[in-house]
Amino acid sequence: MTAVQAALSGALIGGLYALMAAGLSVTWGTLRVINLAHFGLILVGAYLSYQLTSAWGIDPMLTLLVSAPALFVVGAGLQWAYDRFNIVEFNSLLVSFGLLMIIIEVSTQVWTADFRHIDAGANPYGTSALHLGPIALPVSRLVALGFALLLMGGGHLVLERTFAGRGLRAFAQDRTVAASFGIDHRRLGLVVGGLAGVSAAVAGMVFALGNTIAPAHAYEWFGTVFAVVILGGIGNLLGSLFAGLGVGAFSAVVAVLWDPSYEPFVLFLAIILALVLRPQGLFTRRAAA
Amino acid sequence: MSVRKGLTSLVGVSLLLAVLAHFNTSLGVAPYLLVLATSVLFWVIQATSWNILSGYAGYFSFGQAAYVGIGAYAVAVLTGRHGVSYPVSIVVGGLLGALLALITGAIAFRLGSLRGEIFALLTLAVPFILAAFVRINRDIDGGLGTTLPLPAFPDWIGDFQHLIFLLMLAAATLAVGTALAVQRSRLGRGLSAIHDNEDAAEVLGVPTFRYKMIAIVLSGALGGLGGALLAVRNGAVQPELVFTLTVPLFVIVMAVLGGRRHWAGPVVGAAFVTVLQDELAAQKLDQWGNIILGGVLVVFVVAAPDGLFGRLRARPWLTVGVFVPVLAGLVLSGQYTELDALLYAMVAAIVVAVVVDRLRPVAASHPVPSRTTAAGTPPAVRTAPPPLSAPQPDSGRDLVAVAGLIRDFGGVRALDDVSLSVGQGEIVGLVGPNGSGKTTLVNLLSGALPPSAGTIAIDGRATVGLAPHKVAHTGVARTYQIPKPFASMTVLDNVAMAVMFGRTGASLPAARRAAADHLATVRLEHLAGQLPAALNLHQRQLLEMARAIAAEPVVLLLDEALAGLNPAEIDDAVAVIRRIHEGGISIIIVEHLLRVLNQLATRIVVLDRGVLIADGEPATVLNDPAVVRAYLGRQRA
Repeated sequence: MTAVQAALSGALIGGLYALMAAGLSVTWGTLRVINLAHFGLILVGAYLSYQLTSAWGIDPMLTLLVSAPALFVVGAGLQWAYDRFNIVEFNSLLVSFGLLMIIIEVSTQVWTADFRHIDAGANPYGTSALHLGPIALPVSRLVALGFALLLMGGGHLVLERTFAGRGLRAFAQDRTVAASFGIDHRRLGLVVGGLAGVSAAVAGMVFALGNTIAPAHAYEWFGTVFAVVILGGIGNLLGSLFAGLGVGAFSAVVAVLWDPSYEPFVLFLAIILALVLRPQGLFTRRAAA
Repeated sequence: MSVRKGLTSLVGVSLLLAVLAHFNTSLGVAPYLLVLATSVLFWVIQATSWNILSGYAGYFSFGQAAYVGIGAYAVAVLTGRHGVSYPVSIVVGGLLGALLALITGAIAFRLGSLRGEIFALLTLAVPFILAAFVRINRDIDGGLGTTLPLPAFPDWIGDFQHLIFLLMLAAATLAVGTALAVQRSRLGRGLSAIHDNEDAAEVLGVPTFRYKMIAIVLSGALGGLGGALLAVRNGAVQPELVFTLTVPLFVIVMAVLGGRRHWAGPVVGAAFVTVLQDELAAQKLDQWGNIILGGVLVVFVVAAPDGLFGRLRARPWLTVGVFVPVLAGLVLSGQYTELDALLYAMVAAIVVAVVVDRLRPVAASHPVPSRTTAAGTPPAVRTAPPPLSAPQPDSGRDLVAVAGLIRDFGGVRALDDVSLSVGQGEIVGLVGPNGSGKTTLVNLLSGALPPSAGTIAIDGRATVGLAPHKVAHTGVARTYQIPKPFASMTVLDNVAMAVMFGRTGASLPAARRAAADHLATVRLEHLAGQLPAALNLHQRQLLEMARAIAAEPVVLLLDEALAGLNPAEIDDAVAVIRRIHEGGISIIIVEHLLRVLNQLATRIVVLDRGVLIADGEPATVLNDPAVVRAYLGRQRA
């Protein structure tokens, strides 16, 4: 029973991993920008939710009304800069590593390195849980899963079904050809970068609901979130969603059945194994060449 | 500068530093500077270790902390907990670093489709795993980190600071010496080719897997050694302090700042960044340290991706001319400590070098061509090798023998039971509609792809299952439809690479001489000193051909070598192909222009949807109704 409980609540944490992975995966897959600064945006999103909730005493979810537009602008601005200086792939990894350092240090100056958490009185989701028989599901994690399903399912449909989504996928495959068919990659890129920022705002808010926040968290997310992106298949939102749930459930079961300190060890070994066996991701169909 | 000369000067500089450090008190140098210098040397080791794989070969690693950590823990566990002597544990630290690198490399580089970004992220995971492993096994470090005893050492060394300085200096000399020797060797040339274009390097005969493995193991050994010495210096080891992301951040900033393709780049970068960090700490600005480093990284990747060292070396007098007066002025003014003065002088020289280069970008960005032209041969004197009497087709000896070849991609059969042989002296035209499997066949022949079934023999040797560079050594060379030159090397050196790593192999000077002949064959000798970026499409195609024949193949595969050329260029290219053929090389040419093939080919082979539908004299084949149907479509009544 503990294993089932662990798997379920782990899968719910996985919803959060998936949310964090979403923006990273899409900008990597479509714009070829590996934006490590995305982790910084998630951190800022979490701090904004904390700050606004503490200052105004509003429901944490309402803070998205401020943080989502703010991070949309930041995300779009970043993408503008990457595009302006033609920074893709390797260079984007380096540049955004530098940006991430800057964001984390500035956050440390503003909010200090201490752990912060949303005051229990202002956070109706923090401690409550939904009871299904013997299994308890924390509400903050259900929120994470809900947002993940909504954003990533929606994003997937947009990429698959709409003209803009097809344009983006075409752009991802061949920039020059896509451009000659009238796809304005600059504008699409700004929108995608902005939406990645919005996903960071949501992920940050959800993280703040159930966890304490500290600048160093941005580094701790690195490993797991990249695992989700790669396992899900780069640029594949639905894949990232499944990978997130799977990784969450897997780590939680390892933590319960074995020892919590084994969690990162087993997880990263699993990632390496997965990379060796299926470098194109677990949830991608093998493309016919 | 030869390797030996470089190494001698390096050791000389190190000895000088060691002597200076030994007499630091009598020279009036603050003891504090010795501590800082030790720090600089530690980072020189790490940045150099990182650069041997990530800078030279272009495989970026975020896992430098893994080597530092494993080296430090080797000392912590062996000496700290089990009382093993320091020399042994330090050496074990280096060996464990090499072993870890060997395992990482064996996993990472075996992945055929591994992309650089995936490698970067894979290496990111390694320190996490090791840190978790240390935390799981509490008995490794007793749960709270390990403290180390003070090492015993002879009196003449001085105090502990002197000892650790000397140890770091020795390790740094070893690291930089290794980097220097690698850069000047075949290994270094090969890594550079891998950096520029790994596929092209492999088909030219560079053993890419082996070279990457050597580079990563050297990198791991040096990183582990440095980590072991860090443990000795700090006297304590904790997982949070050694497996931290600060390590990869620092080494990446240092190498990018200094320059990644030259051994001295990371040294310059490590010195500057460490002194800068120290200065910020002294000014109580250390919380700004990472912000500034992050900013430096961003600015340099955008503004000067080739790094400082290249800029400084392109204008040595300007650099010295700014550095020395500023340093002298600041020291003489008496208002600054030596260290402040040194830092400000470095900043001034760097700013001037970068700004001047921004203003006149063309002049300094290609320091290489002039040097190579001087070293190369005057182009006008050499002529093409004397043409042999045009070899007559001789089907008695099969240079290429293909039987029952099948290749599937998922559910698509790109080649279906193709059998084909090419004899001495033939020019075989390979034609067929788009998607008929021509390029797939070229990829199978050159070993870039393995067949799903069937056999291939080149000059009597079976090649199925061989790595592409081994296939190249059986006597196949190929060109790419979209040219893939080594962007960082001159035209001459592009061709020289193929000679160096070709069937016979040669040293670089001999390879450059032979390369000049091959350039003459394709009439590119006037561009020998240029970088490939300066060539037009036609010239790049010719460079592809020169590079291919430089490998001294028995059979040359030309994959749409005439695509996108204008009529005059096509005539020119055809003349070159004839010259290559007269030199005794058999040719398989993939081409859509039947007019050209009609003149050039001795035989034409037609593929349609993966099936070989015709093989024979050009005139016969091109009038074959099945061929006409494949090209023009079935006529509807």
